[in-house]
Amino acid sequence: MTETSVIGAGTVVSGHVRGQGSLEILGRVEGDVSVSGNVSIGPSGRVRGNVSGAELTVSGQVQGDLRGTLSVLLEAGARVAGDISGPRVGIAPGALARGHVQTDGEPALAAARAPAAAARPVVLPNRAVPAPAPLPPAIRHEAKAPLPPPAKSEAKAPLPLPTRLEAKAPLPLPTRLEAKAPLPPPPHNAPPPKPEARKPEPPRVPPAPPQAEFTPVRPIKPEARRPPPPVVPVISKGTKAKKKKSND
Amino acid sequence: MAGTVIGEGLTIEGDISGDEEIVIHGNLRGRLTTTDAVTVGGTAVVGADITGASLSVAGQVTGDVTASERVDIQAGGKLVGDIKAARFTIADGASFKGNVDMEV
Repeated sequence: MTETSVIGAGTVVSGHVRGQGSLEILGRVEGDVSVSGNVSIGPSGRVRGNVSGAELTVSGQVQGDLRGTLSVLLEAGARVAGDISGPRVGIAPGALARGHVQTDGEPALAAARAPAAAARPVVLPNRAVPAPAPLPPAIRHEAKAPLPPPAKSEAKAPLPLPTRLEAKAPLPLPTRLEAKAPLPPPPHNAPPPKPEARKPEPPRVPPAPPQAEFTPVRPIKPEARRPPPPVVPVISKGTKAKKKKSND
Repeated sequence: MAGTVIGEGLTIEGDISGDEEIVIHGNLRGRLTTTDAVTVGGTAVVGADITGASLSVAGQVTGDVTASERVDIQAGGKLVGDIKAARFTIADGASFKGNVDMEV
């Protein structure tokens, strides 16, 4: 008695559809679809909501997650923005899919579902994933590099090699230079390093001891990654100025 | 073939609107609007205001009905609600409770 239900091409359903039997969607559905049977979304079909069923066959547009307990098949012309999961997932040439795809037939993968579900905000990850994914790592490395170096750089160095080099190079030099330089110069120090520390200037002036100067340096690096290279030349210039001034 | 068929066992909570024939054998709660015929099958349970060209009821309908042509309640059908239609028939064995306005 579970006949196939049809939502015609000229019909719009705004609300949830659920129950037994199979469903063919040729029109529009604004809401979740959850049936025990198969779901077929025709070329003219549009769904804004999550779709779950036994076998999902999509030729139309879906904005939402697709969950097939048996299979999910995207045919040519299908446009899906959302996560796709099922024991068997097929995406035919000509179909567009944007989202997380997971074939979860094996129990071992069950554990992996948790993180996937946690990151579900369907639309956002789709748009955001490509951009932020690469950025954070870069920022993290550079952020970690400047922070640990002063105290633990060499110990925690397991970071990338370049960071070690940069950390070792700039750090020892400034400390020696600034350490060699008499304490009074620090105020004079401020002007020369301008290019290097435009933002942190205010914090820089107050700290007299060389160690204090380091602390402002830390925030600089995460904000602008380029400081390290300029540091050396700038400081050398500054030290020259210091020497001149001190000589004066 | 009917444009839209809500099969037995299927439940829709929400509004349905369209311009084609709609046949309901399942459950519907919400509102139903179309410019074509509406058929409520014997197994259907509908709690919705219905607007269409015509309405044939063999199941249960609770809600106001507005039809531009006609409303027929079949034997075994049950309709509770106000009806506004030019033509209106109640078959022997049907049950109906509500107001009727045939002045369309």
